[in-house]
Amino acid sequence: MTRKDRVFALSIAISVSLTGCGAANSVLGIHAPPKVNPSAVPLTPDQARAILTRDFTAAQQGDTTADKTLRDVLRTAYTDEGLRAANARVKLAKVQPTGAVSPLLAPNEPRLLAVPRGFGYPRVLLAQTVASEGPLPILYLLTSPDAATPYRIGASATMLLSTSLKPFDSLAKGSPLVTDGTELTVAPDALLGAYAAGMAFPAKASANPPFAADVFSGQVRAKAASVAKAVAAQATFSQTHKVVPQSVYAVRQAGGDALVFGVIERTDSFAVKTGQAVNTAENKEFVLLTGKKRVTKSASITRLEFVVFAVPRSSGQATLVAASEQVVAGSGS
Amino acid sequence: MPAIVRRVLGVVVVVLGAALAIFGAWNAFGLGPSGEARFSVTAKDPGALVVEPDVLNSVEVPVRITATRSDGGSVQVVVAPSVDARAVLDRSAVSTVSGVHYPAGTLDLRTAGVGSSPGVRTADVWRLSAKGVGSAQLVVNQGFGPETAVVASGDAGPLRGVTMTLTWADRAWFFDALAVALIGLIGAAFALGDLWHARAQTGSIHSGSRNRGVIT
Repeated sequence: MTRKDRVFALSIAISVSLTGCGAANSVLGIHAPPKVNPSAVPLTPDQARAILTRDFTAAQQGDTTADKTLRDVLRTAYTDEGLRAANARVKLAKVQPTGAVSPLLAPNEPRLLAVPRGFGYPRVLLAQTVASEGPLPILYLLTSPDAATPYRIGASATMLLSTSLKPFDSLAKGSPLVTDGTELTVAPDALLGAYAAGMAFPAKASANPPFAADVFSGQVRAKAASVAKAVAAQATFSQTHKVVPQSVYAVRQAGGDALVFGVIERTDSFAVKTGQAVNTAENKEFVLLTGKKRVTKSASITRLEFVVFAVPRSSGQATLVAASEQVVAGSGS
Repeated sequence: MPAIVRRVLGVVVVVLGAALAIFGAWNAFGLGPSGEARFSVTAKDPGALVVEPDVLNSVEVPVRITATRSDGGSVQVVVAPSVDARAVLDRSAVSTVSGVHYPAGTLDLRTAGVGSSPGVRTADVWRLSAKGVGSAQLVVNQGFGPETAVVASGDAGPLRGVTMTLTWADRAWFFDALAVALIGLIGAAFALGDLWHARAQTGSIHSGSRNRGVIT
């Protein structure tokens, strides 16, 4: 082939390729859309921070206002057991010092700990703050059950003294939910179930619990024993702890461990002995919830216990890192 | 190369080159020096307007989405990962962009679903969001795809008579189009010259043969 022939063939090739391959696509750079990355982060850090700001602002308005119409904003800030606790807290505000018992009080400058990874639901955000009233940080769990429902505060708990958190993956990478717990020393649901059972009063024996002893459960048990003793002449006291269904969320940390949030419903029950009448006027929470200052048959008080565990991946016991409780209901007759 | 084959290929190259030159010049004229391609559609049916990733993420340049309501009501433009946007819209009434016509500058719409989707206003899935009275505009940057853009009512009322315009702009496109025109022009000119040269050569050979006949 002569040089002239080669140049001629090249010009044909250029012409045919430019025309045949879709000249418009070539000129405009049109291509197929990118594929879905199943482990992508569905929220940018800016989006997540805007959500925190929105929810905490609404929480603060709802928590601190006396105007009943404005309390509807609680629904825009809280969901599930978080909403139940917030409503009760507002209702009991007269008799319950908010700053002292409110882990859900809207804080300053929330720190975003973890954002979701992947496109499954539910999705969670984790945040941490320091309450203006106290030195202990508060952990927050914000949940979104489906694409159309915004993130709201589902649980929060004050960190215990001398506890710390292991780091999560970066916000750009996201933190996945642990769904089955097989890669942890104990499955989250089993852990919460064992913890709830371990706090029952009268106490039930449990060998080799998957969690280490902690101050919170110790105080709950001690107080139950104290109450039982105080009312022994007039009533029989018992206490049950039940994990709230669908309240357990475990978020993977960078090293493979997990932070597990859960809500336990605690019921204090008093069976008044025959012929006895118990004056409950001193218990202002109970009076406000039930309207009763005297009971002759039975009484019960329901509390929500928000607990957060650090669960190791390979060996060792789970450790309680945060816990808070809130009275939410009462009944008496 | 046999002369007849060469002649046929030459004609083909001339035609293709001319086509490329016309195509390139036509694109350069259409895009203008700013390299802007603009497409519009006005939805007749009520419901959200949807731009899926096969349009939104088909080019590596930002897309400007402008939505204007004829009734002057509130309108919002939002963008989210496609999986989430589809979940929010669920089975609500939507008109999805199904065709883009260049250089006509028009869009086709495919309508499906019934009812409104209140989740558009409440969902936290939107990476970008813009809202306005009468019109709203959003520039969607690339690199987060696949994403879906949704134009929806900014209030509780249904969205009707909304005009959506998608604009892509890249100055390089204008110069690319010019380059295509130039390549086509050069190819056609080269092939035409070659054909001319071959014809002249053939004429010369024939003439030489005749001369030789005269001499012998």
